[in-house]
Amino acid sequence: MDSSSTYTEQELVNGLRNRNQKIFSYLYDQYSSTLYGVVVKVLNDHASAGDVLQDVFLKIWKNIDQYDEERGRLFTWMLNICRNTAIDVLRSKAHKLDQKIQNITDDVHIGNEPLIVHMQVDHLGFSKMLERLSKDQRNLIDLAYYKGCTQEEIARVLDIPLGTVKTRMRTALNHLKQIVKNIDK
Amino acid sequence: MDAQKVISSGIIELYVTGMATEQEVRELEAAMLQSPEVLAAVEEYRRSLEYYVAAQDLPPDHAIKDSLLNQINNLEASGSAQTCMSSTLPGHPKATLMEETLIPEKRLSWKVVAAAAFILLIGSIIMNFFYYKKWKDFREYKDKYQALLLSQNSIMSTNDKYKARLEELEQTLNVMEDPAVLKVNMPGTKLKPDAVATVFWNTQNKQVYLKVNNLPEPAAGKQYQLWAIVDGKPVDMGVFEMGDTAKLLQKMKVTDKVQMFAVTLENKGGAAQPTLEQMYVAGKIPG
Repeated sequence: MDSSSTYTEQELVNGLRNRNQKIFSYLYDQYSSTLYGVVVKVLNDHASAGDVLQDVFLKIWKNIDQYDEERGRLFTWMLNICRNTAIDVLRSKAHKLDQKIQNITDDVHIGNEPLIVHMQVDHLGFSKMLERLSKDQRNLIDLAYYKGCTQEEIARVLDIPLGTVKTRMRTALNHLKQIVKNIDK
Repeated sequence: MDAQKVISSGIIELYVTGMATEQEVRELEAAMLQSPEVLAAVEEYRRSLEYYVAAQDLPPDHAIKDSLLNQINNLEASGSAQTCMSSTLPGHPKATLMEETLIPEKRLSWKVVAAAAFILLIGSIIMNFFYYKKWKDFREYKDKYQALLLSQNSIMSTNDKYKARLEELEQTLNVMEDPAVLKVNMPGTKLKPDAVATVFWNTQNKQVYLKVNNLPEPAAGKQYQLWAIVDGKPVDMGVFEMGDTAKLLQKMKVTDKVQMFAVTLENKGGAAQPTLEQMYVAGKIPG
């Protein structure tokens, strides 16, 4: 992700702060696919995902002065903006209503799963390494990260005790950490 | 808090997946600032999760980038215009940020303005209708009020008339009931045997009143005149009206002494000497 051969992270940040549109264009080319992947995973809806992605990049452009290097990398900051924006849209009443209507019309796809997180997964070119995570582990991470579910909501949705949610989340993330470590090696 | 304890508590895993409670977030972020060890641990989990996220990337439509660059161009255009305007104020580089955040609202503003105008229009129509009704009601009430005022006036004038009449009657009654007043009946003469008139003479203040009981209407240009016969000589007591006034007691002249009263028909304005042939009624003071 940070494999910028042209710019260092500091150069990117400075460029954005100086309202350099070339830098912005570069930033978009580098990160738009990742951020768009997040938006689509959150909303499960390509139609509004484009608008939300634009919103995310406009926020990055306008609020770059609020970015604080001390608190994390630029990518972490951008990802947070993206996740929060998309989850806000997901929670907004209008979108819920749209989803409901869509759910009624696409009833076939709903199946017995309480929340359809993996609908897009297959054609996303899911990395082979990540397939080493179990489907349950991915589901757990996705509910928390992409759907913004609280521990209580996950416990209810998966019908497991609250303590079990925490334990399984720890196991899943440590497993993920291990996988990523192996890739980096 | 001990760094290892924080790391092994499982709070970091909840934090990076966005599942930590507000209090947990506050605690962990405080620990991150204090301990580089904790910060490194958080960063490691973050990178893992970001890897997971990045692995699920999806290229957006090409049109999105063009639209985005366009919007940013527009932002900058209005932003630099703003900068030009505020360039006289030095040392406020951040002022433009506030202006920029206002731009998307500006884009929407015609809708807001249209909606507001529409609401105002509807409000105005409702108010117009309401006030038109009020105005109509007011007009109606005004007419009614004027009609009432008119009828009130007419009632008042009638009332005044009755009041005056009552006062006159009271006066009449007072005169008649006064023990000092002498009542003199004047029956009709041969000329008009059924004619009757009555004189009331106050023996103290010497005032003479006349009441016409029954006298024929005089011809045009003629008027009745009352006479007092004092020591055989007629003294003019004044002419008097007929019609409505005749039904009441009419105040005549004053006489100290009198033996007899009589009424003659004279030319309008009265005569110096009575025309005896035209004497209609006459009556002596009793006793």
